Amino acid sequence: MTLALIGQAALNGFLFGGVYSLMAVGLSLIFGVMRVINIAHGDMMVWGSYLAFVLALRLGLDPFVSFVLCAAAIFCMGVVVQRALVNRVLNAPHEMQILLMLGVALVLENLALVVFGPDTRRTESAYGLATVWLGPIFVDVARLITFGLALALSCALYLFLFRSDLGKLIRAAADNGYGALVIGADVERIYMVAFGIGAACVGAAGALMSALLPFSPATGFAQTVTSFNIVIIGGMGSLLGAFLGGLLVAVAESLGAVLLVPSLKELVGFVLLVLILLFRPQGLFGGKTT
Amino acid sequence: MVNRRTFLKTTGVAAGTAALGFPAILRAQPKEIKIGAVHPVTGPLAEIGQACRLGAQMAVDAVNAAGGIKSMGGAKLTLLPGDSETKPDVARAVAERLINEGAVMLTGAFHSGHTMAMVPVAQQRRVPFLVDISAADVITLNVAQSVKEGKQKTQYVYRNFPTTTVFGRKAIQFMNEIFRATGTSPKRAVLMYTNDPFGKPQSEGFIKAHKEQGAPFEIVEVIPFPEVPTDLSTEVSKAKAAKPDIICPITRPASATLLLRELAKQRVEILGVISPGAPGLYEKGQIDALGKLIEYTMDNVPWVNPVSPKARKIAEEYAKRSGGKIFDTNSGYSYEAILIMADVLERARSTDPDALVEAIRATNMTDPIMVAAGPVRFNEVGDTTSASTAMVQILGQRPVVVHPKESAEAKLVFPVPKFWERG
Repeated sequence: MTLALIGQAALNGFLFGGVYSLMAVGLSLIFGVMRVINIAHGDMMVWGSYLAFVLALRLGLDPFVSFVLCAAAIFCMGVVVQRALVNRVLNAPHEMQILLMLGVALVLENLALVVFGPDTRRTESAYGLATVWLGPIFVDVARLITFGLALALSCALYLFLFRSDLGKLIRAAADNGYGALVIGADVERIYMVAFGIGAACVGAAGALMSALLPFSPATGFAQTVTSFNIVIIGGMGSLLGAFLGGLLVAVAESLGAVLLVPSLKELVGFVLLVLILLFRPQGLFGGKTT
Repeated sequence: MVNRRTFLKTTGVAAGTAALGFPAILRAQPKEIKIGAVHPVTGPLAEIGQACRLGAQMAVDAVNAAGGIKSMGGAKLTLLPGDSETKPDVARAVAERLINEGAVMLTGAFHSGHTMAMVPVAQQRRVPFLVDISAADVITLNVAQSVKEGKQKTQYVYRNFPTTTVFGRKAIQFMNEIFRATGTSPKRAVLMYTNDPFGKPQSEGFIKAHKEQGAPFEIVEVIPFPEVPTDLSTEVSKAKAAKPDIICPITRPASATLLLRELAKQRVEILGVISPGAPGLYEKGQIDALGKLIEYTMDNVPWVNPVSPKARKIAEEYAKRSGGKIFDTNSGYSYEAILIMADVLERARSTDPDALVEAIRATNMTDPIMVAAGPVRFNEVGDTTSASTAMVQILGQRPVVVHPKESAEAKLVFPVPKFWERG
């Protein structure tokens, strides 16, 4: 066990954490605003990955460019899902919402299976295999770009929510939906946009991740679970929590693979979850639970 | 114009004809024999599961086209396909369902964990189960043991596929022969395996054979990783730190993709990647996705015998029906399982489970389509003694047999060019 190996693992995990953060931010936004857990999150991500794959195959677009288009497409998917389905169960009990989203997840997964087939895919990128060496440690260029873009997107989302009028309205509706309605906000439209943005985040994450990791229609569920885990660790509804939680889980898993047996690394993320639930149930950055 | 009355009249007549007509048609047809086939057709192993299903279906079609089961009046085989969704509990439930639908024999299930889940069903329901693909020794061994101890009366589970013990022995034997033939002597090997009911025993079989048979190299590090992995960069860093000459991976499709890319990215300098036997390193989808990164990868796998004209013909038809895929380990063994079952039915002249078991035990099928050490025969544990492996290498973006010599299609390349110097 050398120091270089540990440093390498920490760096790899950290850079990879960007995508984790982005997908968790999307889930957190949707939950924060609507109190709906988007069980179809990972499957939306897989659709983002497939779109990037198709764009790379047909138009030769690099996923680090096409993620914008993928985000836009998944934004539309999110808007449709919200309008047609989620809107009807906003005030229903959580278990009904979960069942509905589970149904959406199944439909999306199997639709991907029909359209794209079962094969494991990966999007070609010009930077896919590029590395920069800093002495004994290397920086994976694709991961570095992914991290940069994920960070930029998260910052843009933050600015949107805190500086723009629509963003402020979204926060108002998240804080108190009834209150927002009273002051004349078009809450239905706000919900639609918020769900769309949450979906767009995970769509972009899917496109970016498609250059790093292989995906197939079946990988969606694991991503949903990971996002959910991160959001709980970071604090339900907290965007900063989701972002930092993503980095934390990625670094912890990566270090777990070096310091423990690699097949135990996924355990590390869930041990974190258990510890958080025991000692800080509101999450690292969550407010007081109501 | 159709109104309510005419509609009722015509449908009534049609229903009546159907009710009267169908039994008559059934009586005129020769008997039908249902075979249940459980494979992971959806989920992470879907590409493989679909290959298995198509292989089995093609074998059923071939048997029927040749006149069905002649000793039973030309009875036709019907494949009842089942999807395990790559989940062991579903595999078990689907097996139950297929038996309820009338399956008299079962085959499947590719994943050792799924096969193990189906074994109790076959034993309890007394339905002979010919495992087409699954390597874990315990699958047949456990049943044979409990029959021997008198806990169960009859063994209904048989297998025509190399066990992990065979895989391990063949891997070490072939590696030693290849190193000798190429005048190379790798000193350090890193074994990486997917930590599931296939990967763990497979790695243990390799380590055991390495200890028993001896090899010029030492296994300096053993790295298990979860399946489906989210990221293998740290595992590969760990492997690289062990300064290996060869990497011996036991993968599945998703992990194989990650592993080969990381080896290239991290510039791991090795003489070659040689798998003791694993999927993910030879399928068409994998080759298309990985391109030059998968080139030269060697895998010690059961393979379609390239020298057999019968196998070649099936391979051509398979490529046509699958949209250009390769007739490989999985489609091949699923195909062969059906051929063995047809042969068993032919000799049993009945679908009675005990008659079938007796016929399975007496099997002596010459000319198998897979690379094998002799005719298909079952030993006292219920495994075929002939099931063997070949060393397959990806050359020119196609998997070809390079060892043993008598089945080889091309000359192997070892040591292989470095990942980042492949043009």
